[in-house]
Formats: sequence, C-alpha cells, structure tokens
Amino acid sequence: MEARLVLTKSDLAKYPFIPEAAEYIKLLDLKINNLANPELKIVLDRAENRIEEALLSNPPEVSYQVRNDDIEIPSFPVAVMMAAAINNSFIKGRYALAEARRIYNLLKLEDENAVLEVANSFKWRIKATERTATSINYEFALYFIDFLENAKNFHEKEWKLINRALWNGWVYLTKQEVARLLQEEVRKHVEKKLEVDVRSMLPENVIERVDKLTQRYASKIAKVQFEEFPKSAVNAAFPPCVRQLYDGAAVGRHLSHVGRFALTSFLLRVGLPPDKVIDLFRSSADFNERMTRYQVEHISGGRGSRTSYMPQKCDTLRTHGICPGMDELCRKIRHPLAYYRRKLRMLKIEAPTDQK
Amino acid sequence: MNEKTNIFIRDRFTEFYDKESYRIEAPASIKQREFGFLLFKEKVMVRHKNFGSVEELRSFLKNNVPLHVYYSTAYYEVPEEEMENKGWLGADLYFDIDADHIPTKCTKIHDIWVCSRCSFTGKGIKPEKCPVCGSQSFDEKTWPCEVCLESAKQETIKLINMLTQDFGFSKNEVMVSFSGQRGYHVHVENEDVWKMDSMSRKEIVDYITEIGLEPELYGLGKVRSRKLRMFVGPSLNDFGWRGRIAKGTYEFLKDSTRDDLQHLGLKKKAIDAIIADKDAIVKSWQSSGPWNLIKGVGSESWKLIAQQGLKSQSVKIDTVVTTDTHRLIRLANTLNGKTGLMKVAFPITHIEEFDPFKEAIAFKEDEATIIIEEAPQFRLGEENFGPFRRQRAELPMAAAILLLCKGLAQVAE
Repeated sequence: MEARLVLTKSDLAKYPFIPEAAEYIKLLDLKINNLANPELKIVLDRAENRIEEALLSNPPEVSYQVRNDDIEIPSFPVAVMMAAAINNSFIKGRYALAEARRIYNLLKLEDENAVLEVANSFKWRIKATERTATSINYEFALYFIDFLENAKNFHEKEWKLINRALWNGWVYLTKQEVARLLQEEVRKHVEKKLEVDVRSMLPENVIERVDKLTQRYASKIAKVQFEEFPKSAVNAAFPPCVRQLYDGAAVGRHLSHVGRFALTSFLLRVGLPPDKVIDLFRSSADFNERMTRYQVEHISGGRGSRTSYMPQKCDTLRTHGICPGMDELCRKIRHPLAYYRRKLRMLKIEAPTDQK
Repeated sequence: MNEKTNIFIRDRFTEFYDKESYRIEAPASIKQREFGFLLFKEKVMVRHKNFGSVEELRSFLKNNVPLHVYYSTAYYEVPEEEMENKGWLGADLYFDIDADHIPTKCTKIHDIWVCSRCSFTGKGIKPEKCPVCGSQSFDEKTWPCEVCLESAKQETIKLINMLTQDFGFSKNEVMVSFSGQRGYHVHVENEDVWKMDSMSRKEIVDYITEIGLEPELYGLGKVRSRKLRMFVGPSLNDFGWRGRIAKGTYEFLKDSTRDDLQHLGLKKKAIDAIIADKDAIVKSWQSSGPWNLIKGVGSESWKLIAQQGLKSQSVKIDTVVTTDTHRLIRLANTLNGKTGLMKVAFPITHIEEFDPFKEAIAFKEDEATIIIEEAPQFRLGEENFGPFRRQRAELPMAAAILLLCKGLAQVAE
C-alpha cells in the first residue's frame, strides 16, 4: 500500500520472518546439511540460545542482539528448525510466544513506515491515517477481516470489534495496538512452522543439541497438569447456564441447537455416561431415541469425525443467548468447564465430607 | 393435513416448477455448493446433492418437485461427500432476520400454540408453562402478519446500513431477499469474507446485536479524576457505535416520561433535572451533546441512559445462522413450503418499497375452494381476506395455498 522502503540489514535482523530476510538467507547458501560445518557453530549457538531465552525469561522473550546482524538473521530459521525438532508442545508454544513478544517490543519503538512494512509482509490491508475518537489519536487503519483474524483470540473487552472505531471496513488503531496484533500474527506464523516434522532432515550434531537442550530443561519445565474431574458428575458444581439447560431438558422444554450442544458436550466432559445424557432428553415432546443417540455419540467422539467436542466458551454462549446472566464465579472464568473445576474445589473446601 | 390437500399442494408446486423454473438462477460457483431438499414424500430431507449447472438444477426441481429447496452458504471441494470429507473452501457471510426474534406491536396475537401434553391451546407468544398441566413443550402455528414483516424490514434496513457504512461493503456485494415467510435474508458475496471462521463471524454478530459494548470505552460512566470531570460523549455525527449511542440516547430522552426514567433506576434528583431541562437537552445535540450539560446527572446516570438508548440501535438477527459456516439456506425464486410464497431477491435500494405480500406471490391464476378451520385477516396483493372461522370459501389460488400450507384449511371435497 505504501511505497516500499529499502530495508537495512538490521531491519532484517529484527524481523527475520519477512520475505526480504528469507531472500538474504538464500544468498548465504545456508543448507541444512551444512549445519554440521564448524564455521556455522556460531549460528547454531545463537539459535539454541534463542530457544533457551524463551525458556528462561518470564514472560518469555527472545532478545535482539544489536550489531550482530550476520548471525541474528540466519539464527532465526535455524532456531525454528531446532524447535520444530523438539517433541514437546510446551517448549514449542513458549518459543513461538517469545519470538512474537520480541517483535512487539521492537515494533513499539519503530516509526510508522517500519510498522507498515512488517504488516505488509503478512499481506495485511493496512494504511497510515490520522483520526481522533474518544480523545485517542489513531495512526493506523486496518481492514476489519485482518483485524479479526488476530484480535478474535484476545479476551480483553477493548479488543472486541464492537468497542473499536470501525468505519467503511477500517478499524482504527494506535501503533502499540498494531504491534500487539502483529505479535499475534508472528506467534501463529512461528507456531505453524513448528508443526513441520523436520527431525529426519537434520544432521546428527543438530539433533544432539536439540535432545540435550530438552533434557536440560525437562525438570524445569513445569508440566501443565490438568486436575482430573471426579468420576461422576457433581450437579452442585454446574455453572448457571448448564443448570438452566439441564433443568429445561429435564422438564421437556425445547432447547435450541446451540443449547443442546452445550449441555451434551458439558455433561459428557464431566463424566456423565452417554446413556444418562440420552435419558435426560426423554421428556422432550419430539424425543427420538435414534436421533438423540446419534447426536450424543457424535459429540462424545464415538462417531463421525471421532472428535470429542468441548462445550462452547462463555463468550460464544453469550452471543447465542444461552448465558442466563453471570454469578460471582462466572466473572472470573471464560469457560463453563473452568467454572465447574473451580466450583468443585470450593465445594470440597466447604463440605469435605459431602463427596463420595 | 389430509392426503387430498397434500396432493393438491404438490400439484400446484409441480405446475410452478414446470412453468417458472427458468427464473431460478445459479448461486455463485454452483459446482462448489451443496444442495438440500425437503421432499413431499414422507417429508424427508435429501442432502449432499450437487449440480454441475443451473440447467441440471432446474430439471431436478421439475422432476422431483420438493417442498423446500436449500443450498449451502459454504463452498466445498467435493460438495456431494459426507460432511467430514467435503473440503470446506469458504462461505458467504449470511444473516437471517426473522420476526420470531423481534418483539412486535402485534404481540404475535395471530400465532397459535398447542400444549403437546394436554392439547390446551392459546394465542400470542407461547407461555413458559402450560397454564393447565404445567408442561413446557408446545407445538406452534405461526402466521406472517404485516406488522411482523414490517418490523423485520426495519431491522433489515438497520443491518444493511451497518454492512455498507461500518463494514464498508459495496451496494453490489450485499444481497437481500424475503424468505417467503416471516423474515428477510441478507448476505455478502465477497471473496474477502469467504475464509472467515466462526470466531470472526461471531465478532461480527456481537457487533450487530450489540453484545459486549463497553460504555466506558466510549467515554461514558467513569470519571477518572476530579480534574477530568469533563468527558467527551458521543455526538450524533460520530460514526459507528459512537454515533449510535448518541442517536439512541437522543431518541430515548426525546420521548421519555418520568416513569421511563424511574424504570432505569435513576435518582429523583437526576430525573427532575432531565425533565426540567428537556428543551436544553434536545438543543444540545446541535453541539457537543448533553453529557456535561445538566447538573445532577452524573456519568453513572448517563451510562444507564445510553444503555437504554442502545437497545433500539442493535439489529435482531438469528445468531446461529451467521456463525454457522456450513449452513443450508433457501434458494431464491423457489417456493417456501410453509406458505406457498416465493423467496424473492431484490436490490437493497428497493427495500423501503418492497411489499412481501405482493412481490412474493407465486400463484397468480385460478381459484380454489377450501374449508377453513380458522384464519386471521390477511392481505395478498391488493385484496383483503378473512378473518375466517369454520367456513367454506372460494379464494384466489395464492390465498388458498397459503392457508393450506399453513395447515389452517383443507381442500373441499
């Protein structure tokens, strides 16, 4: 959209995912097999260091090493390859986030043109603008579809489209907000690259490094352990939405498709057997055992695509008018299952003998 | 519905598709679309159909004469495959506005509900529980009345304005149609929207239905410090929801009574001030609005007032249709089996004058004699009919078919 600028080598070092950086790396003739070469050790070191930085910093962030462009640029694709070879989704996710946060912090300090340049590299439809609304000065306008593609993952209310200045398809943004959206774009970009299985292509010395790195941090990586739900469903811990749907189904009230899906997937997740879920719908006037069984088994993952479905997030239930209004605990969570998990914990504390 | 009536309707539908199917046009990229039909026979749904051309589709309709004809908003690699193997390529952005979702002045008095347990029957909006047996399950017979359809049209106009102004879609990309029963469909055919997933579409739904709007982010309801007591409230010329907050507030205050204000939970002092300064408030919109104007009305009160005003600005759409990227939608120029009226598409510039009870009529010739159980008064074309109660009548075909399809009448022996 804007006239392209000549990018300096340090721009490529800062933003090594842009097409120009890839061009530059091509010129270096950096082949995977060459990574065993002793003179590339310095690149491998920095690549490994990028992943280590992601694991050691909190919140995770890879640093930008000034005046070291010749190593900074190639170390990024090498680090991505190494991280892709690590068989641990926690390390992968953390590395992608660390590279993304690095971009956010660099972009915040850049001028308008550099921000546009990076945004253009992801084919964003973006333009510089001057507009003031609610005493905020907006410097950029981004096409709403590109905005949503990234902002839909954010939970803060200021990122909801309805709370944005939107006109003629353009969402008005400050530089810092554009940087934040680009952080998300970079995180997704890196994560996607990490999905590729590269292990078999890498030379032995690189594999060795990767495995050692994983071992070194194995003990430090706090495994995100999910608390197991009790074997049988605890009705007292249901969130208000599920309670209302459950009571409605029990007396045969007609539930919307979204409501039936939410209720069924929730009950299956908290351990109610499919037969019990089917029984719940029996009082409905248009109950059809074959259809209900088909739907319940589909949601449980026993049929069709074999995916076992999760209930929708609070946000989605609100859109479809399923949320009956929030209670105290609802305000602290974003998902009905999170409500259930917390409420269980509270119930245990309040009534330790109540559980079977 | 007795067999004779069923056959009568099917014969009229057959004649229609024989004569009129040339008017059916192919949706964009017909080869990538899934088609679905509800057949007269046993009322079964046939899905996963695909046609290489519009001629194929037309001859299928002539030969099979379905009660309802649907096509997918989605584009698939292989539309005839099972859902999991279709290969989703994208979907149009679709909106459904149905009188069922809109509170209307007619209070739906023309709708009939029947308790599915004890068969107790009533009129209007169905109750939570059956007053006789307490059951919460009902069969409903709805009716497309002028008031309902006028409300749906007003919602449609608001939606079209949002799509063309806020979202910047051009007038050629936004299509509008009457569904043939109780509402309107609006859709956007534009390659940019194809790839949007449900999450992005949900954000658009929230924007249109005004879910999650935070008045504080629009400068209402919070005063950060004593020094910053002056805040910039929205004004009528603002764009997007800022302008709508102003417009809604303006409209609400213009007509509000003491009772309305009390209902919002405002304090007596604030209510007195608003009532006393009404003229000044109306005038203030010519400059920066009333937000800082009136002593005794603080930012919290303004927030309550603005939230009330917002209610008239949102559009009542069926949220599920827009977020579902695999939806089947009625095809234009086909018959709606619930009414015998056509789904008709028209340019958005025609929306104000569009008359569904005239332009959606499919059967323009002949008459039929039917026995009517009960039907409200209604208009088709320039003519008024009814109300009817347990009587025999000879009616123009379109009116007869409407009552027959609605299950309110039988063909006379």
